[in-house]
Amino acid sequence: MKSLVTIKEGSIGHWVLRLLAAAIVVAIMLWIPTKGSNGLVTSATEALTLMSAAMALNLILGYTGQISIGHSAFYGTGAYVTGILVSKYEWSPWLTFPVAFLFAFVVGVLVSFPASRIKGVYLALVTLALALVFPNLLRWPKLESLTGGGPGIPNGDSALDTTGFNIGRRDGQMRNFEIFGWDPFGDLRGQGAIPFYYWIAAGIAVIVYLVIRGVVKSRAGRSLIAVRDNETAAAVMGVNLVATKAFAFGISAGLCALPGSVTAIRLGAVSPDIATLTILGSLTFLIIMVIGGAGSLWGPIIGAALYVFVTDRTGGWADDEAIPGVLRPFFGWSKIPPGSGIFAVILIVLMFVAPRGLVGVWKQYSPRVVRVVPRPAGVAHDAKPALVADTTTNSTPEGESE
Amino acid sequence: MSLLSVSHLKAGYGPINVLHDVELTVEAGEIVVMLGANGAGKTTTMRAISGMIGRSGEVHFEGADIARATPDAIVRAGIAQVPQGRGTFPELNVEDNLRCGAYIRSDKEIDADIDRWFDVFPRLRERRAQRAGSLSGGEQQMLAIARALMARPKLLLCDEPSLGLAPLITQELFAVIERLNREMGLSVLLVEQNANLAMHMAHRVYLIETGRIVASGSAAELSADDSIRKAYLGF
Ligand SMILES: Nc1ncnc2c1ncn2[C@@H]1O[C@H](COP(=O)(O)OP(=O)(O)OP(=O)(O)O)[C@@H](O)[C@H]1O
Ligand SMILES: [Mg+2]
Repeated sequence: MKSLVTIKEGSIGHWVLRLLAAAIVVAIMLWIPTKGSNGLVTSATEALTLMSAAMALNLILGYTGQISIGHSAFYGTGAYVTGILVSKYEWSPWLTFPVAFLFAFVVGVLVSFPASRIKGVYLALVTLALALVFPNLLRWPKLESLTGGGPGIPNGDSALDTTGFNIGRRDGQMRNFEIFGWDPFGDLRGQGAIPFYYWIAAGIAVIVYLVIRGVVKSRAGRSLIAVRDNETAAAVMGVNLVATKAFAFGISAGLCALPGSVTAIRLGAVSPDIATLTILGSLTFLIIMVIGGAGSLWGPIIGAALYVFVTDRTGGWADDEAIPGVLRPFFGWSKIPPGSGIFAVILIVLMFVAPRGLVGVWKQYSPRVVRVVPRPAGVAHDAKPALVADTTTNSTPEGESE
Repeated sequence: MSLLSVSHLKAGYGPINVLHDVELTVEAGEIVVMLGANGAGKTTTMRAISGMIGRSGEVHFEGADIARATPDAIVRAGIAQVPQGRGTFPELNVEDNLRCGAYIRSDKEIDADIDRWFDVFPRLRERRAQRAGSLSGGEQQMLAIARALMARPKLLLCDEPSLGLAPLITQELFAVIERLNREMGLSVLLVEQNANLAMHMAHRVYLIETGRIVASGSAAELSADDSIRKAYLGF
């Protein structure tokens, strides 16, 4: 395959390319809350929350190869930890993030022990049960004093106010978030809760991304992929399967709780009826991850952006008049917004043409434009005669003919 | 004291007992070859030694009892295994596969070791950044061996490294194993179907049949015995 430009890994050109990509991402993230409409900022916040959860799920499904349909429970754990600590114990919402992480981490590790003994469909069923049980656990009368039962913890509780969990002052004004006299929220975009939630969601997404990137690129990350690719070989290399899976599950669950906390802060309320706390949430994370590209760092990010874009654009399409003319014959019959249906079709098509998701498509075609060639391998120190000569190409897969 | 000594080893899969009474030893610096028909229990013996399956009996390595140790503890003790059917990690590139082999190590010489195995297997150096899954069968087998050696084992368990390789490549692979044995004093327990080739480099040979060791001795002794040669060695 010919490519227009070839760049050496680690060369100046490669760094320019990387910086350019980073600059574009930063520019988009800054442009949305400063110049975008309120609607756009809200959608972006939604996308950031979903992508954090999908990234967390990606760690165990994409990198360790263990399926989980139970991540909505971890997400919900985060939401409720934040909700309960802020409303019942008047904690600052910021401090609830680490607690949510740790709590979900422990739950995740506990779930991982049965999970490390079972695989595939059985693991899917166990985690499915987790997703189904979770909302009912929240409604359980014995826990009602803590969780608020069916109605959950409503907005407007004593400790809550219009801007959510204690983030604004009790008099309804936003707290002052000045940094050395510069108020990032006020100066960039007037006072308001909408961009504020955006920043929280963005901060969490960046943290989740960095943690996952750190894990995946480390020795531990390699062992996760090794376990996924070949459990036996990983074990005889000294990888402790149970501990590795427990670690991956715990980190994944803990990280998934963080966007849950963001949701609680944003809504200023939690209840078992929030869709992302139910099995629907798990499925949404799963679909986002698969469409974007499982087992890649950027997959969930792209998947979440596309998901929110599609569902937003088609949100009003239950009304025929709202559908653009050309598309009306295709979706006019639908009495509900066809967003999830469209996404389902995208999913099915992608499974055939690009089983590795959109990132897989990118990896396949981007080398035609720019190709980054790996650094040449370390040069041999001394020219020892090679014991295994260049004859390997003759190797026959059929085996010895003796 | 033998490097590895196994006695009264029983092992199997769930209710199925495959190994009934395996006895074998590997001395330091020895290449020991285990021969046997398909299904005789060679792979099962390897798995039992490396702790991958439940087993009973005595397994001593450098005098320490490892019959109840976990696979990672056994690797740390100094036994590395090349599983049957080249267990590379297809989605990781060649270099990362080697780094996985050094999973139990945290010293500073990992990069130097990678370079060293690239010297021994130059084809791997050329394919350093390539996915292991896209290597040829022979290259994958070299990678699997190099990866096991990254753990700096004292004993290498090698399960049918010649599987699926052209005769010439097999010879070269065996030459590498012999050289490692000669130059580094690496001890090797090697399972082979290709009796003729393997016995050339073996210091000692074991014959295994339905979970029992039925004969042992030097290559010369075994091939001098007509009945053994006809029944097991096929030449
Ligand atoms: N995972 C397993 N579960 C149940 N039985 C098994 C399993 N693996 C192997 N066996 C059985 O154990 C016996 C010995 O198998 P093993 O793999 O040790 O043979 P082998 O000597 O390595 O043969 P080959 O030369 O074909 O590799 C066989 O009868 C096989 O059916
Ligand atoms: Mg075998």
